[in-house]
Amino acid sequence: MIAELSAFRQDALREIGNIGLGGAVTALSEMTGVNFRLEVPEVLELTTAQLRLVCPSEECLMAGTIARVEGDWQGEAAFLFPWHSAQVLWQVLTGSSPSDLSELNELYESALREVANIMLGSFLTALSQLTGFELHMEPPAFAADMSAALMSSLMVEAMYGQRELLTIETRFCVPERQFEGFFFYLPETGSLQKLFEVLNI
Amino acid sequence: MLQVIKAEVLLAGMGEIKVARGMGVLGCIGLGSCVGTLLYDPMTGIGALAHVMLPEPHGEEAIDLPGKYATTAVPNLLKELGTPQYAWTRLKAILIGGAELFQNRQRTLQIGSRNVEQLHSLLDTLRIPIVFEDTGGRYGRSFELDIATGQLTMRMVGGVTSTYELARSLGMLAKAG
Repeated sequence: MIAELSAFRQDALREIGNIGLGGAVTALSEMTGVNFRLEVPEVLELTTAQLRLVCPSEECLMAGTIARVEGDWQGEAAFLFPWHSAQVLWQVLTGSSPSDLSELNELYESALREVANIMLGSFLTALSQLTGFELHMEPPAFAADMSAALMSSLMVEAMYGQRELLTIETRFCVPERQFEGFFFYLPETGSLQKLFEVLNI
Repeated sequence: MLQVIKAEVLLAGMGEIKVARGMGVLGCIGLGSCVGTLLYDPMTGIGALAHVMLPEPHGEEAIDLPGKYATTAVPNLLKELGTPQYAWTRLKAILIGGAELFQNRQRTLQIGSRNVEQLHSLLDTLRIPIVFEDTGGRYGRSFELDIATGQLTMRMVGGVTSTYELARSLGMLAKAG
């Protein structure tokens, strides 16, 4: 699927990731007082091979959210955090963090949902300024589980909802705290074409 | 020098089918909404495992992986086992997975439970009994089944492990005795 996209279009998708997430990461920095560094987004085929990019082992614990995006560029947007990174976020946001899954509660879940809300909100704002698209999102849903189970569930949802098996993946990190987070956008089939038309490329 | 020979572990990735004949270990890692679907023939000692992702294909979608859909996985598992059709009822099935990891979604596709329902209905029609099932819930699972001993090990996140001895329910003891 990616082979079908010209280098120029792939660049355009990366740029969208960059512009969209740039604002989102700034919003997160303002929210937490921590400086997040944004890395260059990658346009990737959505496969389990990506797990290795996200997590050292397929069974390592991760926390994340998924939210459906409606409007002119429909798809699913997900944030995934390795457990240690989620703990860093929780510590900053709530002043405490669960040491393991058994200590996870509604407070922590809603804190991560809020992070996703703010970041995705600003991603969509940037995207709609760029394209004129009207976009809105549903409230993010939370999960914490094995990385492979989270990724495969995302992939299967994308397949079932007739999404492109392509993702704009962006990593943001705080090296001195060993924090890293990942953003995935899974656009719906046909919506890529729409985007290229609007951007005139 | 004495060496411990560890049984080969055949892991079925998403949409794949793996077969073990008489010995070896079959397993899946990180099942979320996917369902590990295993059929075992106690007469031949052959086990076949599919990592089922979706209940059925959409329209005219190409079937790139035999184990991807419940509706394609079951016939392909039967083909791999090579059990004659009149004897399908002696087969035993194991289902693991089919969870919904993300909770409180406004609109959920409920793929996990739809996968499980589809597999139930297919196996019911073929009269293949499900001898072990751990499906649903909101957590992911990994598992391994030793095809020679019937020992099933299931892992959940955070290192929670359960072990089940399924030799009897898989009909292995009957064969030995």
